[in-house]
Amino acid sequence: MKFRRSFRHTIPCLILLAAAMAATACGRTDSGSKPGVSRPLKIAVIPKGTTHEFWKSIHAGALQAARELGVEIIWKGPQKEDDRAQQITVVEDVISRGVDGIVLAPLDDRALIRPVQDAMRDKIPVVIVDSGLQGKDYISFVATDNYQGGVLAGRRMGSLLGGQGRILVIRYQSGSASTTERERGFLETLEREFPGLTLLAKDQYAGPTTETAYQIAENLLSRFHDADGLFCPNESSTFGALRAVQEAGLAGKIRFVGFDSSPKLVQALADGDLDGLVLQNPVKMGYLGVRTIVQYLRGETIAQLIDTGVTLVTKDNMASAEAKSLLTPDLSILDR
Amino acid sequence: MTSPAASAPVLSMNRVGKRFGATVALSGVDFELGPGQVHALLGENGAGKSTLMKILSGALRPDEGEMALAGRPYAPDGPLAGRRGGVSMIYQELTLAPHLTVEENVCLGREPNRSGFLVRAEARRRIRETLAFLGHPEIGLDEPIRRLSVGARQIVEITRSLLDQARILVMDEPTSSLSLEDTERLFQVIRKLKAEGVSIIYISHFLEEVQAVADVYTVLRDGQNAGSGAIAGTPLEEIIRLMVGKPVTELFPHVDHRPGEVLLAVNGLKGARMAEPVTLELRRGEILGLAGLIGAGRTETLRAIFGLDGIESGTVLIAGRPGASNPRSRIRQGLGLLSEDRQGEGLALSRSLADNITMSRLEPYRKFGLLDEKRRLAAAAEWMRTMAIKASGPRGPASSLSGGNQQKVILARLLHQQADVLLFDEPTRGIDVMSKAQIYEWIGRLAARGKGILFVSSYFPELLGVCDRIAVFYRGRIAAERPAGDWTDELLMAAATTGKA
Amino acid sequence: MNSPNKLKSAINLVAPFLGLILVLALFSAMPDVSSRFLRLANLKAVATQSVIVAMGALGMTLVIITGGIDLSAASNIALSGVITAYAINRGLPPLLAVLLGILTGTLVGFLNGLLITRLRLVPFIVTMGMMGIARGMAKWIARNQKIDAPLTWVNELMSKSPRPSWLLLAPGVWLMIVLAVVMAVVLRRTVFGRHAFAIGSNESAARLCGIRVDGAKVAIYAVCGLFLGLSGVMEFSRLTVGDPTVAVGLELDIIAAVVIGGGSLNGGEGSILGSMIGVFIMSFLRNGCTMMGWPNYIQEIIIGIIIIAAVSLDRVRHRSAA
Repeated sequence: MKFRRSFRHTIPCLILLAAAMAATACGRTDSGSKPGVSRPLKIAVIPKGTTHEFWKSIHAGALQAARELGVEIIWKGPQKEDDRAQQITVVEDVISRGVDGIVLAPLDDRALIRPVQDAMRDKIPVVIVDSGLQGKDYISFVATDNYQGGVLAGRRMGSLLGGQGRILVIRYQSGSASTTERERGFLETLEREFPGLTLLAKDQYAGPTTETAYQIAENLLSRFHDADGLFCPNESSTFGALRAVQEAGLAGKIRFVGFDSSPKLVQALADGDLDGLVLQNPVKMGYLGVRTIVQYLRGETIAQLIDTGVTLVTKDNMASAEAKSLLTPDLSILDR
Repeated sequence: MTSPAASAPVLSMNRVGKRFGATVALSGVDFELGPGQVHALLGENGAGKSTLMKILSGALRPDEGEMALAGRPYAPDGPLAGRRGGVSMIYQELTLAPHLTVEENVCLGREPNRSGFLVRAEARRRIRETLAFLGHPEIGLDEPIRRLSVGARQIVEITRSLLDQARILVMDEPTSSLSLEDTERLFQVIRKLKAEGVSIIYISHFLEEVQAVADVYTVLRDGQNAGSGAIAGTPLEEIIRLMVGKPVTELFPHVDHRPGEVLLAVNGLKGARMAEPVTLELRRGEILGLAGLIGAGRTETLRAIFGLDGIESGTVLIAGRPGASNPRSRIRQGLGLLSEDRQGEGLALSRSLADNITMSRLEPYRKFGLLDEKRRLAAAAEWMRTMAIKASGPRGPASSLSGGNQQKVILARLLHQQADVLLFDEPTRGIDVMSKAQIYEWIGRLAARGKGILFVSSYFPELLGVCDRIAVFYRGRIAAERPAGDWTDELLMAAATTGKA
Repeated sequence: MNSPNKLKSAINLVAPFLGLILVLALFSAMPDVSSRFLRLANLKAVATQSVIVAMGALGMTLVIITGGIDLSAASNIALSGVITAYAINRGLPPLLAVLLGILTGTLVGFLNGLLITRLRLVPFIVTMGMMGIARGMAKWIARNQKIDAPLTWVNELMSKSPRPSWLLLAPGVWLMIVLAVVMAVVLRRTVFGRHAFAIGSNESAARLCGIRVDGAKVAIYAVCGLFLGLSGVMEFSRLTVGDPTVAVGLELDIIAAVVIGGGSLNGGEGSILGSMIGVFIMSFLRNGCTMMGWPNYIQEIIIGIIIIAAVSLDRVRHRSAA
């Protein structure tokens, strides 16, 4: 009997706990909304994931815009990072919920077409950020000009080597649109502006993780020990290759230009192991995504394509305020 | 009464042999069963009874010999063929699906259907009729099996057999977990089946039961026929002699022992599962029997004393000290419990004998935080010698042992953990005569060494043969308590069934 | 003892519904979304979102009733979806591609059953291995990326606004409802279903009663695979691309739905109605949490609590039955 009694208590307890959690969460969103004169606009911002630094920066930018413009943000990513099906579900659910606009970083340029069409049909405008979506069923595309990023990296590499040398390119992954653009920008710049540079390898793929990138770079470096330059198109490939370069004792000897930022990469830049990082501006992307949709809702004209810009950061300019804000974005707004 | 010699046998097994690798399980065994006959198949564990019955049911194929059902050759290639031949087994471990209802279980494997869809009405009617015929109309067809008592489950199995048109029913230890009342009802069912011409092969360790219910007997020993004949006119001692292979001079060997000071004092104890508070006292060098029907509260009392169930009121003093009421501290105080559920609670079946013996006291083998395996195995081997445990060695799994040897392993564990007060719950259930006699002797020896023993049993002759005092439980309380010499089988039965002594 | 027993059997009956009602009531009471939560459009969305897990749960219920488990479910869904996309991409008629997808799922299930019965391995191990095998196959066939396939009627199966519009719900939703009814009848009214319960309740008893346990198990895992294949086709229909990395971890959602619905991992228990309710409890929870804009971690914690609460309720039922 004793057992049963304790069980009888446990279940209501669990339910109570769940209710309490719900209540806490509820209070959280409530306190976020400002009682304005009229009902503030509600904008759903849907990233590809919620844990990575990049998405936190987008979140910070979106929140900043929301604060300035007096609108309310619903920040909701797929429960599992990078799960296309779950992102569709999230889009459908915010449509059901009823919002004034959606800012979406689509996990897939195809799979998200239908839910976005559904939203537009329900008179909910959608702004696409970060990665492209096929078709034209959205009001604006706010993203990094990845090609331009590749161009910046190519010019840096060319000037570092004085137009002469042998270069390794480690690509990210086949089928990834943004990094392919960066690689294209890099390669075409070399071809166009620095014909004296030769490519030792340009069809090697780093794969999805730091680990796979590390292995590929290790193999390449042992084969081409005397390479003069190295380029990687995103954070994981840059970091993996950096580890391989450091292990091979080539740090500082080989000219190395990478993409994106993380504390480890910033350190490597300061140490001279990296000669340049091309940085996107995710805070700005989040900011402009929200601002664009609010402008649209308020009847202002907006651009169909908005570039959030790329910046080359080197050891020399990394102390500047602009570079600092990109290398270590201010995310304190998320804690408020 | 049917005379077996007069009518043609429904089953004859001739010179049946079976070997497993190098061991000969059966050799040249003959067995004959007449119509409407209850034939007791007897023998110690390992004598070949279950092998013979597995061959009969089709679960095993014989290496030599032949079988005939009602004169026709019979060579089943699986249990289903056996069932089709009219042979039905009521196993010791019940073959029912606990989540399924009575109806579903009875029909299992033979569901009447029209192109895969169940057709139930006719089957339900017949099941209801059969249950009524067996004298158990109270069993509901839609009741899940797990809500039924063990006795009722057995009736469901018999119903299934009858609806399968079984002509031969094999009952393997059918009463081992039945209360006296259910046993009596089962005997009535057996008599009804007999009257219908169903033949029954009855396997049991309870020889008194065999005398009450069987017509003829066959004894197997070491895989061979040891003897057979009519039950009427055969003294029990003769059957035991056939089973053991030598005359048993003393089934209850007496070892001198003398009660000393009070070792265990239970005062007004009421555990979480007990119906009434219980008070009892056990002295050093004393064997106190706890008699009663199944469910009378004896097991629950032992569990509360050992700290397995919570205590609601009352006290337990061991050598005058209270101690915390949980198994760990009780073991430290010198208590040892032998559970009635040997396979479920008593042993870690898949673990080695050494593990099972030393499980409750590993401290002596600790060396720098590690276990000294050599010493542990040596100690286990020593205990196996002391207890005469038949096994290949201390590394073998407990599951490979016969019931009697398994029980000795548990006994060894209790002695190894240096228990002073031994709580034995049905220690001889389902084990063979020789092992029983050894366990009785050990109980006597332990008493002689100054240990106190609580001996729970539903088999009254062993209580009378072994104990100094016997207390009888009736509906959760102790109805009477006297020196063993003042009790008889009949008096114990009367006290257990009526609560009046 | 009589009245508490009655109470318990009443709890027994409504317990699964109770959870669903509780979830619906919770969100209907939230001022932010109350007006929108129970609207037809949202119900349609939730129904469509539930199809993939529900199809999987139909098969998983059968497997769990026999005391087994299929951890390869999610990988199987991904593989079947990829195969369908691949076939359409290769220019096969969509119907053939769909059948191929379903066949793939069935084959994987059949293989599971075969390995479990022939190698005498526990389902957990075999299907855990198959989880990796199927996922790897999917990635291999898709060359480690998603497969874009031209739009066909297959992609209409999971469209929230179906054509013709009198269908009201997506064709996949209707298919889910029909198949759930079929499976419920199979479980309760056919010899096959009864044997599944018997195997899960006491396998050796089933064997002794002449049930061909091994054959039945192979059939059961194959049927489960068939539903997973169908689920994979639906996943493809929804995504419009064949994605080998989709549905990672979805097998646990499917298992959770069955367990919330009263299925016992020890076998012998489970029902289609219960499992479907389990699916919808989880779907509505996700939907509600998203609509409220609650962060994912809150949602995950709540679903975790619901699973434990549901299973402990199940335990109480067992205790009262024992």
